[in-house]
This record gives sequence, C-alpha cells and structure tokens, in this order.
Amino acid sequence: MIYLITALDAEARPLCEYYRLKRDTSLPYTLYRSEEMVLLVSGMGRTNALMALSALLGWRIPEDKDILINIGICGAPLEYRIGEALLIHQILDGDRRYYPDILYSHLLRETSMRCVDTPQSLCGDYPVDMESSAIFQAASRFFKLHQMAFLKIVSDHCTPELVTKEGVMELLRSHVDTLDTLISRLRAIQKESSFFSADERDTIDVFKTRFTKSQGDALEDALTYFRFRNKGKFPPLNLLIPNSKRERSLLLEELIATLTA
Amino acid sequence: MKNSSQPSPPKLFSHLYIERDVLDHPQSQMIRRKFADSQVILIDHYKEVFNRPSQSFAAQSHSKKLILARKEGKFLHEGSQYSDGFGHEQFFYASSVKGCLYDCDYCYLQGLYPSANTVLFVNLEDVFEQLRPYLGKVTLVATSYDTDTLAIESLTHQTSMWLDFADQYENLYLEIRTKSANIKSLRSIFPNPRVTLAWTLSPQEIVDRYEHATPSLEKRLGAVAEAITLGWKVRLCIDPVIYTEKFAILYPELIEQIFRTIDPEAIEHLTLGSFRMSQSHLRSLKKLRRSDVAFYPYIVRDEMATYPEAIETHILETLLAKATQYLPKERIRTWQRQS
Ligand code: SF4
Repeated sequence: MIYLITALDAEARPLCEYYRLKRDTSLPYTLYRSEEMVLLVSGMGRTNALMALSALLGWRIPEDKDILINIGICGAPLEYRIGEALLIHQILDGDRRYYPDILYSHLLRETSMRCVDTPQSLCGDYPVDMESSAIFQAASRFFKLHQMAFLKIVSDHCTPELVTKEGVMELLRSHVDTLDTLISRLRAIQKESSFFSADERDTIDVFKTRFTKSQGDALEDALTYFRFRNKGKFPPLNLLIPNSKRERSLLLEELIATLTA
Repeated sequence: MKNSSQPSPPKLFSHLYIERDVLDHPQSQMIRRKFADSQVILIDHYKEVFNRPSQSFAAQSHSKKLILARKEGKFLHEGSQYSDGFGHEQFFYASSVKGCLYDCDYCYLQGLYPSANTVLFVNLEDVFEQLRPYLGKVTLVATSYDTDTLAIESLTHQTSMWLDFADQYENLYLEIRTKSANIKSLRSIFPNPRVTLAWTLSPQEIVDRYEHATPSLEKRLGAVAEAITLGWKVRLCIDPVIYTEKFAILYPELIEQIFRTIDPEAIEHLTLGSFRMSQSHLRSLKKLRRSDVAFYPYIVRDEMATYPEAIETHILETLLAKATQYLPKERIRTWQRQS
C-alpha cells in the first residue's frame, strides 16, 4: 500500500485525478483510495497532521513493504526555484531533528527543511512547511525510516499570501511524474513482509501449540534455518504428536536435527 | 504507476552526516573532497542519526552512509573473553570507527548497533593521548576490532596514523585485523615488527554466501602474499568457521589453498575458531532475519552461543589435523569454549 499525505485538498486533487482515487468515508478525515493507494488530506499544521495520520495508521496498519510519502508545497529561500521539487533529508523543528533514510538513487535536489507553526513571510536558511515533523513522528511508529519520503514543491519565496488554490493544483499536477518515479524507487527497496506464507504460518502455529514456549521457539528457528537453506521449500510437519512429554521432546530434537543438518 | 524504472544502487556514502564541531577537522575536509558529490548534512551529535529508532539494518546495508563525529570519552576498551590477547601484559581494542563497510551475516555488529551506517571518529589524536599513559607496559592494541579499518583506509588514513604512532613506542604492539585486499597504504611504510596484520580467510563459498561486499578469497590471499613480501608480520585467521553440510570439504580445501599460495614459514600464527556470539547479540540477529547463521541450534551457556560441543570439537580436530600438515602446533591458536 502507498500512503500519500497532503495538508491541503488542493494538493490532493491532482493526485486523485492522476491515480483515479475514490473518496472513502471510513475515517472522519478526507481520504481517497484505490486498491494500492490511500491518500490522506490531514489539514494544515502539526496537530492536524499528527492526529489525522495517527488515525489513518491505527486504522490501516502498514506492512513491511508499504511506503509513505508526504507531498505538498513549501515556502523556500530565493536559491530554490518556484516549482522545484525537493526531497527532504533532514527535518528541523526547534531543537528536534528528524532524518528519513534515502536509500535509493534519484535526481531530485535534496535539502533540509524547517517545520514551522505559521506560514512564513520572512525567508530563513531552509525551505519551510508546517506538517513534516509531525508526519515523521507519527509515521516512524509504524514505518521504518527508509519506507518514508518527504517530497516538497516550492510554491513561493516566503510570500504565502500569493499562493492560490489553482497555483497549488498546477504545481502538483506538474510533478505527478516526479511522484511516480519516487514511488517506484521507494518500493524497489522494500522487502516482502512475510517469510512464511499464511498457510505455512498456520501450520507452524498449530504445531507449536503442542510444545512448550522454548521448544516452540527452537522449532521456529530451525524452520527459519531450513527455509534460508532451501529457498521456497517447507518441510512436511506431521501433526500426530505423541502425548508423552519425553517422546515429544525426542521428536522435536530429531526434527530440529533434520531441519538443520 | 506509469514509471516502474528500477533504481540503480546509490553511491557508497551518498550522504555525509557531519557534526558541526568537526566540519573543519582536516580529516572531514579530506573526506568531503573525496565525496564531493555526496549530500552534506550538518548534525549536532552523531547519535541523532546513528541511534535513530526505526532504522532497518538490512536496508541500510545496501546504501551505507558516513557519519563524521568527534569521539568523547573512552576510545580504548579492554579485550573481551571472545578474543585472544596473545599473552601481552595489556590488551585493548580501539574503537575509532563504528560500523563496517563490509556486511557479514555473522557479524555481531548487527546485534550491537541500530544502524548499518559507519561512524568515523575523526579525532584519532585523542586515542593516542589516552593510550600514552599505558605504554610503560607491553601493550597490544587491536585497531580494527569491531570494524575493518583497512577497508576504509583510503578514506581515513587511520591505519597509517596508527603505524606512525606505533613507530614511536617500543612497548606498543598493534594488531590490524582485516578482510581487505587493499594494502596500498602499507607499500610506502617500512614494516614494523611489532605490528601484525591478521587476515580473516574463509572458503570462497562461505565468502559468497555470508561475507557480502568483502574481497574474494583469492584477492585476500594476494594481499597476504604481498604483505609478506613487503616484510610485514602476518597472522591468518580461519575464524569464525561457519559450519555447513560441506564443512568437511570446504575448510580443509581452504587450508590447502592457503598454503599453496603462502609459505607457512612466513606466517606468525594461524588462528582457528568456530562461530560464537553472545546470546543477546544473537537474539538481535534473529530479529533482523537476514541469514541462516542466526538460526542454527546453538548451545547457549554462560550467555554465549556456540556450536554443540561435538560439532565444535569436530571443527577444531578437522582443521587442526589439516593445519598441522603445514605448521607446528605451537603456531596454531584455537578458540574453544572453556568447559
Ligand atoms: S568484516 Fe568484520 S566487522 Fe566487518 S562486517 Fe564482517 S565481521 Fe563485521
């Protein structure tokens, strides 16, 4: 699943059109969905972002191969071009700093970003937005740092009063390809979450119920060892387990020895 | 998604995280020049990057970043029970680097550190300060103990600095353990008889399977041969031995291959030892679920996981029998659990 987070509806609109997302009313937040994507409009500011994203992630808990992208506009000093897409490698918020892991190659300009309370009319050292630190905080409880990215498009040189809804939509529309590429790069470095298939998992869990916790752990280790050494294979587990404790222990010992031979 | 292009792997050290305080340190400047295309991100303290929660060691291993920092406090640590101090009065290891360029499946660093990135402490001058008071006694320092310093020597020059320092102190012995084949830095230095270069060697099949990003066995052997020719003292380590179903073929063949290339008389010692790890590190390794090595049914005693005694004995006996065809027993050191 791809989680896209925007602050504004104007940021979300072009993405909904491009990815053909449909409105979803499962949460008391503006949400759009397709089979492989969910787009959340969090509202402006840290508090809104934190609450909305926490609600979304609590409702639909991410898996190891899922990714999250916070995409939206930002104000920036003059050396950043209006319309330029930036990939954020450091989020500064007061004394706190957050670092998404960028483990893929890309052609975007990378930069640090400050997360601030209000729209800025004075430019500082870095681009500014109002949600990224909160999104990072909420997301990093559910995602690893290399599963998330912060993609910002420069909308103004700290003249927020000049930013229009149409302008925002146009900026986002002009970067759907950038987002597309970022999504594929991010996805390529995620690993499959399940080591055993759902059926295999069930078999293991049923089998383990007949043993003590530590015996079960030892068996799980041996099965993992076996799977690493025999890609794609799963050993037959005979579910006829003897009742005697001693015989069960012997059976397990033999099984572990076979699996790890 | 319209775009499904596969990303090329990012450059090594595509990101340099640099503590503000060491931005102007000569070593930081040298590294910045070497990695002129890398992103430079200023940080206050290396832990804010290295110790972040929610990092993935496995994912980071394919795209390592470099963190430049100043080490505060102790650089020197006393040698542990898992290692061999070679009978010197004092044995320390120096930790001027956290993390390793290589990526061995059996490496305890995966259990020790939350990150696969490398932290380079640029203030090596402070290690030397800390070490000086000890040098009234014969002291061994392992300079590459929880990393592979030679692997990043072209970047850090730390081994050269250590060698210069060791030249000045008669009581100081160095052990530089490595899997690297890059010994360029040793070519221009006069060999110091108190410095031992210790190469870890494994059968190529084990290298391929478990020692990712390391030089091949052939390249390592080439480096060993060259170091010997240059006049350096060399120790060879077949440690850790990873027990697989082909153990009895792979490892004796390794010993044969070594001594086809290397004159046994030219090496100081051969060290043999089977895989062992503290239980807590092993637990962390299991959580990462990266390789079968973590899941073998080891025996855990006194917080240390080892192969069952029968296997451990089989490993040592097999290797000793082969190694003694080339070397007297006194020059073979073995690690085995004290029972
Ligand atoms: S070379 Fe040594 S320190 Fe580096 S990853 Fe391998 S075992 Fe660990």
